[in-house]
Amino acid sequence: MKRTVTFTKEQIVAYADASGDHNPIHLDDDFARSVGLPGVIAHGMLQMGIAGAVAAETAGGGDRLRRLVCRFSGMVVPGDRVTFSADSAGDGKLEIRAVKENGEAVLTKSSAEYV
Amino acid sequence: MTEVSVAGRSYPAVTFQIDREHAAAFARAIGADPGAGVPPTFAAVYSLGATASQLFEDPEAAIDFAKLLHAEQEFAWTRHPQPGETVTSQGRIASDMSRRGMRFVSFETDTKGAGGDEICRSRALFVIRQ
Repeated sequence: MKRTVTFTKEQIVAYADASGDHNPIHLDDDFARSVGLPGVIAHGMLQMGIAGAVAAETAGGGDRLRRLVCRFSGMVVPGDRVTFSADSAGDGKLEIRAVKENGEAVLTKSSAEYV
Repeated sequence: MTEVSVAGRSYPAVTFQIDREHAAAFARAIGADPGAGVPPTFAAVYSLGATASQLFEDPEAAIDFAKLLHAEQEFAWTRHPQPGETVTSQGRIASDMSRRGMRFVSFETDTKGAGGDEICRSRALFVIRQ
């Protein structure tokens, strides 16, 4: 399975509200710049949430997932278009990828296991 | 190295009720079907999220939140919680190392059901720029 998502500030705010992670690096451009970021960035856990949803679809339902591992390797900012994929690696294993339009991988060494 | 080694430190267990509406809002935020039950990565809330604030607010752990990056995350599930269920999550600092101006903190959380059965184990790797 594969899903392409164009990240928006609204989506990042919705994830902050639903997850309770209100770190200002995700919500406040001025604060984010003050700590050396280009502006607000998406939560790694939002990326993992989308990857987990794609993995759950591929596995035939979220209840079947037994493990999900993500390495957050790149920053995702509003406007970025990212393709998330979960591909069978055999034996109940999935290879997880998330790649920006420019080819930059934002999730690397990421995988899932299901029953 | 950090002044005070906090590796091995455990925090008090936290109880958390899995609310159907909360899980549905989380599902919508990640583009999942809100009618398909509790999303697996809602563990970001009931496991990691329920306990990480204890780490971040621990003055002896001295985590500089503004310089914190979440580098890796793993969830391993024995089963997934149901809406209405009350779970208990307990976090601990599995390791704490500094190298080349970066501090690496591995934070693990065990989440169990009301009967003490295992639900989820979360492992977060935080990198703090020093």
